[in-house]
Amino acid sequence: MNKFAAAGVFALLATTGVHAQPDEAPQYRDPLDSLEINREATEYQFERSSLRALKVHDPIEGFNRRVYRFNARFDEYVYLPVVRGYVWATPRFVRTGVSNVFSNLGDVSNLANSIVQRQVHKSMRTTSRLLLNTTLGVLGIFDVAKAMGLPQESEDFGQTLGSYGVPPGPYLIIPFLGPSSLRDGTGRVGDWVIQDEAGFLNNREHMNEHKWTYGLQAVNLRYRTPFRYGALDSPFEYDQVRYLYTKLRELQISQ
Amino acid sequence: MKRIIATATLSFTLLGSYTAQADNFSYSEENAFMATIASTPLEQVAPVPSEFDVQQDDLSIRVLPDRKLPPVLSGFDELDFRLAWQDQPAPLMFLIAGTGSGFDTARMDYLKRVFWQAGMHVIVLSSPSNHDFIAAASRSGLPGLGRRDARDLHSAMSMAVEEAQETKGIEITEYHMAGFSLGALNAAFVGELDQQLGQFDFSRIVLLNPPVDLYTSITRLDALPYTRVKGVDGTDSFYEHIFNKLSRYYAQRGSIDVQAGLFADIQASDEALTDAELAMLIGAVFRFAAADLSFMSDVITRGGVYVPVDQQLKVSTSLTPYLRQALFCNFKCYIETQLYPDWQTRNADQSISQMAEETSLRSIDSYLRDNPDIAVVTNADDFILTGEDYQYLVQLFGERAFLYPRGGHGGNLQHKDVVARILSFVEGTPNE
Repeated sequence: MNKFAAAGVFALLATTGVHAQPDEAPQYRDPLDSLEINREATEYQFERSSLRALKVHDPIEGFNRRVYRFNARFDEYVYLPVVRGYVWATPRFVRTGVSNVFSNLGDVSNLANSIVQRQVHKSMRTTSRLLLNTTLGVLGIFDVAKAMGLPQESEDFGQTLGSYGVPPGPYLIIPFLGPSSLRDGTGRVGDWVIQDEAGFLNNREHMNEHKWTYGLQAVNLRYRTPFRYGALDSPFEYDQVRYLYTKLRELQISQ
Repeated sequence: MKRIIATATLSFTLLGSYTAQADNFSYSEENAFMATIASTPLEQVAPVPSEFDVQQDDLSIRVLPDRKLPPVLSGFDELDFRLAWQDQPAPLMFLIAGTGSGFDTARMDYLKRVFWQAGMHVIVLSSPSNHDFIAAASRSGLPGLGRRDARDLHSAMSMAVEEAQETKGIEITEYHMAGFSLGALNAAFVGELDQQLGQFDFSRIVLLNPPVDLYTSITRLDALPYTRVKGVDGTDSFYEHIFNKLSRYYAQRGSIDVQAGLFADIQASDEALTDAELAMLIGAVFRFAAADLSFMSDVITRGGVYVPVDQQLKVSTSLTPYLRQALFCNFKCYIETQLYPDWQTRNADQSISQMAEETSLRSIDSYLRDNPDIAVVTNADDFILTGEDYQYLVQLFGERAFLYPRGGHGGNLQHKDVVARILSFVEGTPNE
């Protein structure tokens, strides 16, 4: 009993001590103390890693940089203003619906590529998505599959080529579209052909009849892409985007 | 003896539970590096309107009419800034971005919405250390000196206000200013300059996570890339190491879906980034900012450090070789090879530490001390500060030092308690 009383008094004293100065500043902690900072062991760790990241096969760099600049200007003066107009003129549910319709059409090539890559489970999930969204989702306007736990799993022809060991080849900036590579640029054409041949829901026929739908598709594509030129806040944006694009594709292909 | 141990143990337990509640700050991230990168958990973020709902526009001003830029930098001869405005007369808040950050970063956009929602006009400016500002608004092309940067900023701010009044017809009742990190140091010096010029006559100035002494803080940031990372040795690439982790994380999940909360998910998985990796990432970000800075300064001053003086930088010119060189230059290197030699041309007998002293809050101590209109927000674990720096801020600002036990370098600036406290200071209303 005695010792509890003593403890109580001690604790009380301790807490009163803290209470006496309610505005006392929180105690400084140096986060660098938890690190092992060792210049000898890590000399050039940053430089070595960064220099390696700059090694990307880019034989037509001069051309690419010009197209990159053109795309940035086009984005600033044409593409983004149009997208802002689109956002201003349409309620969100319409934009989401538009976006869903195009991504449902995109699931056709996602499925074809998943099958060719022999990704059995992914193919099954994408098939379910197509069936659910086209029927319950009213021609893809609603992404009911996502709500049921089946998010879209993008697989393009560039990834398919990559998964069969085709190297990316030279880095390429495609006018209007942005970063790509010889392999992935070819892949885009491949995906276009797949969609053409599949003729799912006769979409090409309808789109050719109503040419404005291609414009809508382009606006939707930009609407859904968060990238902004200048967002990396660096005079070396081209170099950084080149590395990030290359790594992103490697990551996608490895899955 | 037993009694003493029992007493000690018990009181420690009591004390322990007391300290856990001692601060009623609900931001719980104890790891300063994690806090800095992951920021505030969504459920604790002070709500602000969406970007689409803010009445705003990006405007630009020509600050230096005589500046000639090479084609690769065309478009940077005008300084862009962001304006969010009110239709009725209102106070105007200037926001100044941190090291190597532009006016259009997510952090600045968030703060902009905080003050816009509170009924103010807001003008967001890039950091004087950012490449766009160096090109368009830095007379010397060599940022890093408190007073000189303040003059550049002050001119840009005056022109930005004129532009805002002309194009949007805004009416301003009074001026406030806030800056983050290096931008906070800039704000303090701009405030001091304006006190002498009497142009804006700022009602409130808030310094968010400022360094005390720029030179000390950059030395600490420069040290981060020398962190030993387990699994990165000899010839390994640190970035590959991180990408491999990401790759394994996705492989386990079976799909790639980049979405909000991704970082928290990774940290909860087997592939969670370690302290050392987080610190290294932060260090690498600052090193790239340093490379940008020393390259841009070289181009603007025609210093010939990276780019030969007669070399024409065209749109198609590869900048990669210059980046390769500039990567080797950290902040300290920039100061020693570019900023200090230029300073010496005017102050031949002065040392580098004397130069650094002039870009320290200590050099404007008398302006900041007992000034009821200036507050500081910082954290006990902000890694740009030494213990001494932290104590200096505590005693310099007294009850206008809003100190938090956790948050790293700006990780808690979206927290509802922090936002409320900043707003009540700026608006002059009692808090709590």
